[in-house]
Amino acid sequence: MSFVQAQQTMHGKVLDHDLGTEEIPQEWLDEFKAAARRPLKLRFRYAFIRTYKPVLDDAPFRAFDTMVAYRRWCEDNLPDWLGYGRV
Amino acid sequence: MGAFEYRQAQEIRDTFQRHGVRYLFIGKSGAILLGFPDTTQDADLFVDRTTVNCRTLVPALRELGFALSDDQAQEVESGKDFVQLKNGPFDLDLVFAPDGIEHFEDAWNRRVEVEGFPVCHLDDIIASKAATNRQKDRESLPRLRAFRQYWLRHQ
Repeated sequence: MSFVQAQQTMHGKVLDHDLGTEEIPQEWLDEFKAAARRPLKLRFRYAFIRTYKPVLDDAPFRAFDTMVAYRRWCEDNLPDWLGYGRV
Repeated sequence: MGAFEYRQAQEIRDTFQRHGVRYLFIGKSGAILLGFPDTTQDADLFVDRTTVNCRTLVPALRELGFALSDDQAQEVESGKDFVQLKNGPFDLDLVFAPDGIEHFEDAWNRRVEVEGFPVCHLDDIIASKAATNRQKDRESLPRLRAFRQYWLRHQ
């Protein structure tokens, strides 16, 4: 599905009509255009990767009452380099 | 376990539809469905936290192959803010109260459908990541915002 087709099935309205004035870096723009030409199935193959994340991947199930509790658990238990700590 | 596949996303879509589960793809997996070229590991679903919806969610997850014990099913049904599943055919994060989005209904009304997949609007995905403000979100936001510009221009 192209972006045009996706937008044709969009429900509701865009929150913010400001499309921005900042120039998109050419390298990113090229990547966006290339992605738009690929079918969704192929985009999936390129996008989803699997690597082991220590601690996070070591339990089959976790549930947190609040997002605050989840964020705190991430900060207390996960290695910093995973990037789950709040800035 | 391998990477999350398109076929598995289709299984979520079809199974949840059969069971009547209301949900939206959110996070980077949602952005990827909208065309954002980047990499991620898990699928993130924003699930409507009504009692009825959470009850329909459990059998749908079991049908997908998630081995939920009765206690775990109870936790899903009770509508925790966040549930992380790694006991099935793929990893799945269930978010019932994402940062930056006040009500499911608001996000539902703004959703985008891509090949039948209900996806949060890019503005909601960005709002959620900005509100979460983790290191990994900070790193992905500039590119995501640039993609938003591109995406809106091509509607």
